[in-house]
Amino acid sequence: MQLYQPQEVIVETGLEHGIVFNNLKMSLPDTPFTLIKDSQLYTSKLHSSPNPLGEGKKRLLLTRHKGEFLKKCPGTEGSVCCNYFVINFASNCPMDCSYCYLQDYLAHNAALKVFGNIEDLLGEARELFSRQRGFFFRVGTGEITDSLALDSYVGFSELLVPFFAEQPNAFLELKTKSNCVDRLLRLNPKEKVVVSWSMNPPRIIEQEEHLTATFEERLAAAYDCQQAGYKLGFHLDPIIEYEGWNEDYRNMIERIFAVLDDRRIAWISMGVLRNTPNLKRIMRGRFPHSQILTGEQILCPDGKLRYFHPLRVNMYRQMLQWIREVSPTVFVYLCMESREVWEQVFGFAPTCEKELGNQMASTEFR
Amino acid sequence: MTDQTIVEYGKEKGIRKQILERWSGLPEADRFALLELARGLNIGENHLRELLDWAEEISLRDGVGLYGLIKGPRIEPIWSDPRLGRADKLRRIKEEMRRLRFPRLVKLERDVQNRIRSLGLGSQIQLSVPQGLEGGALTIQLTATSVADLRKLSAELNEVLERSEIVDIFDCLNGRAMQ
Repeated sequence: MQLYQPQEVIVETGLEHGIVFNNLKMSLPDTPFTLIKDSQLYTSKLHSSPNPLGEGKKRLLLTRHKGEFLKKCPGTEGSVCCNYFVINFASNCPMDCSYCYLQDYLAHNAALKVFGNIEDLLGEARELFSRQRGFFFRVGTGEITDSLALDSYVGFSELLVPFFAEQPNAFLELKTKSNCVDRLLRLNPKEKVVVSWSMNPPRIIEQEEHLTATFEERLAAAYDCQQAGYKLGFHLDPIIEYEGWNEDYRNMIERIFAVLDDRRIAWISMGVLRNTPNLKRIMRGRFPHSQILTGEQILCPDGKLRYFHPLRVNMYRQMLQWIREVSPTVFVYLCMESREVWEQVFGFAPTCEKELGNQMASTEFR
Repeated sequence: MTDQTIVEYGKEKGIRKQILERWSGLPEADRFALLELARGLNIGENHLRELLDWAEEISLRDGVGLYGLIKGPRIEPIWSDPRLGRADKLRRIKEEMRRLRFPRLVKLERDVQNRIRSLGLGSQIQLSVPQGLEGGALTIQLTATSVADLRKLSAELNEVLERSEIVDIFDCLNGRAMQ
């Protein structure tokens, strides 16, 4: 994977003495750094450009996060939820997947940002975890950015992993499409950190997941993390249907389990391609030749387009069968799917979001 | 016809700039084929956007442009049928376009409807499935006027449940028929 290289780092004044700034400065010695008083000036200028989404990825903005860092994952209306919390240490992503929902979600906030007030983040998390000791927190950092794509420069993992390693009632999931795990390999996660990869067959990675690591690079990184004591997760998401998809996905599953020890895999999620009508409009503009625009998707009650119900249930069922053939016991769940789909794929649906969350935060993490 | 005619049509129908830009970005033959259709059927923004979405996606998948679709064997006979009024033409053209865009879904919907019909139920027992088959559920509606009537319908329904068509319907809904 070619490491992301920002053309410029724009730094909001007041953050130039923090740890994130220092990490950036050390790891990007040839990149110009510009101090600005108000990052709004930069973002306003960005949004007056004809292609803010593309332009936004060229520069890295080091700014201050003003709201809460830790939030409950919004999930989607009417779906079985897994009771997940998200930490947003950055916003937007240097990678450029054709189907990425951030193109829509961050359309009016397109700057690639890293938040410099990391101390606030850790303080907030510490306070929340200690206030609710009876609750087990599953926390991820990959909701509105890739957890590791910027880690070589930013080094958040060196702050977050030791922090979570000491929390009695929380664990951290780092979700990525990169192979930027070098910093992780030097740390001791103490069974409190899951590194997870979003996986697709090589053909889809090549055609749709631009600037990400290849399938084999992701697998090699997962192997290294497993050897370093991390639990692993895989998000088979978005599953994309095309002629020959089943052969490609079956091979992918077999390859993953041939390389990795399934006892170290904490979970596997499955989710078919989903987008909104507005995201599809953006995709048409940015990736007009992407064949994934032609799938037989229909509008679901939550406002998202998915492959029509029987088609996707059949896809999930096949995927589950291939997983079970190589690992009868690994924990598998569906992401953003209705109770009806759960029933038809697994023969059951979790009774409530806590049940699914608790299953995932199984005793081995406690 | 000129591009100005498209702009004027858009103005007349209050069609948003975004959609007009997509329309104007089509190859010339497709652009004017759509204009002919839009004017002939007096198409407003929502129908136009849907047709445009479907046509673009069919074109990307099958390599057939809008002109080819409109002048092709599925749409042209509807468009030129003198017995059909404007609203019927639009409805049937949209049905055909949907069939072209979602061939497997439409086939499955039709299979379900055929099986429901073959059960030969009267008007008091209605079986229905959601549009697009989303949810994968069969809805059964009984219309009874008395307890005795309801008992009769319930017995009839019990008999129906033993028929293979019911299993086939659920196989369509839960994806097993697609294997």
